[in-house]
Amino acid sequence: MTDRKTKILFLIICTLQLFYLFNFRSGFRYEIIRNPFNENSGISYAVSPKVVESRNILKKYKATYFNLSEKLKNDAYFYQRSLEFNYPIRINQSSKLFFSSINEDISEKCKIIETGKYLKLTRC
Amino acid sequence: MAHTNFYEKITLILSFLILNNYLLLSLNFSLALIKINFIIFLFTVLVFYFKNFSENPFLKIFFLCIIFISLGTATFEWDARSIWLFHAKVMFYEDSVLSLDEGYKFAHIEYPNLAPAFASALGILVGFWNEVFPKIAFSLMFLPPLILIFSFFKDVRYLIFLSIVFFTVGKFLFNGWTDGLVAIYFGISAFLMYLLFIIDSNFYRNRLIFYLLAFCFFASLTLIKNEGVALLLVLFIAVFLIKLYKRELKKNIFKLLFLCISFLPIIFWKFFCYSKGIGNDYINTNILFNLLPRLEDLNNYKTISYFLFLNEKFLLTLTFFFVSFWIKFDKELFSFIFIITLMYILILFVIYLSTPYDFYWQLNSSAARVIRSLSFLLAFFALYNIKIAK
Repeated sequence: MTDRKTKILFLIICTLQLFYLFNFRSGFRYEIIRNPFNENSGISYAVSPKVVESRNILKKYKATYFNLSEKLKNDAYFYQRSLEFNYPIRINQSSKLFFSSINEDISEKCKIIETGKYLKLTRC
Repeated sequence: MAHTNFYEKITLILSFLILNNYLLLSLNFSLALIKINFIIFLFTVLVFYFKNFSENPFLKIFFLCIIFISLGTATFEWDARSIWLFHAKVMFYEDSVLSLDEGYKFAHIEYPNLAPAFASALGILVGFWNEVFPKIAFSLMFLPPLILIFSFFKDVRYLIFLSIVFFTVGKFLFNGWTDGLVAIYFGISAFLMYLLFIIDSNFYRNRLIFYLLAFCFFASLTLIKNEGVALLLVLFIAVFLIKLYKRELKKNIFKLLFLCISFLPIIFWKFFCYSKGIGNDYINTNILFNLLPRLEDLNNYKTISYFLFLNEKFLLTLTFFFVSFWIKFDKELFSFIFIITLMYILILFVIYLSTPYDFYWQLNSSAARVIRSLSFLLAFFALYNIKIAK
């Protein structure tokens, strides 16, 4: 095979490899590429709506710290994603702002300050 | 002294700027300096793109495609989100990852931070943080090694090299993980080690730029991921053993010692973590306690072998490697790669046998990623062997 033919062959192979990565291995979304430098770009594909809701509530109340109920702490996905997604708002064991799941019972000492679709924010 | 070509200079500048960015962020230099450093990096990339645009068009075009894919995907996978880009986000908000308390333990605070520091600098330059663009900094870090190889492989061979990169690294080129970076930096570090110490020619040994490149690549390798430290150690031991066998150690000892300085940044980082009471999962738990009961069970070796070696990428690259050396057998090159591969596999067995996590889970979640470094190494040197055979 001549050098030129080999070159064309590998050019096709590389292009097919890239196409495979793009189409099957990337999770590419046209919605994201339209505006990748927007602050909220890709959020719905990055984390669950429950995690997004936690951030919206914390932002609304301009919180700097928050805490999670035991049930939410035991939910590994929600615990980790809510901590890193909400950063620089940090988790703090002594924070009075508590997130609980919508169907969780709240202690009598706590007062509900916001009820969302998935979460409740209480002050204890 | 031999002439230094354009690609070697560009590689040195880019890899130096990546390391410099890490230094600036670690030592809390002003944001302006961090921005300037990143702008110089981007400017250097532009110089690479537009000086002789038609030269090396494949890398330029394919790399733009990688950036395009990266900008169209959200960071959703666990390692990328909760470790690497989370570290980057913490640095972006001008905090130290060491300021994170016990609640953030899942983010492996003690991991090296070269790639997160670079992503954080991009965030600082842009002025905000989101779930998409910071990870293109990880893709940009692939540029120095990919540019350097253009000095060695031209035209068709460079296309084959790119095809190897796409095959072995795959989605790790754009998804915000660091495993692809480790694979490429390891392969190129091994190549530089080979050029400086193993090859029977003084052409590279007499060129300062290759020592500087090796220093930058070695330091980067250790600062990308913990695995990089083991891989670099394997490279040094392999060279040490070969030189000892050939009775040439005395002649090379000072050069080797100079390059050993590249371990210093990671040693400082680990020492700093240790002084803050932050340790590695593997080192904090009793390794022997996990290792000894697993050593006696033959099934454990079978399971590890199954996960590591019955991997299509590894098997194909291994076949390519053997075919290449069957066409032309270069004893020195073969023994160098053989020693490295053997030592790294041995390390992997010890690591998996001593894991504090569930044995099966650990293998299932990491073996296919870890073996990529060896897959790339084998395929790259197979291609290099064919090249020097012609």
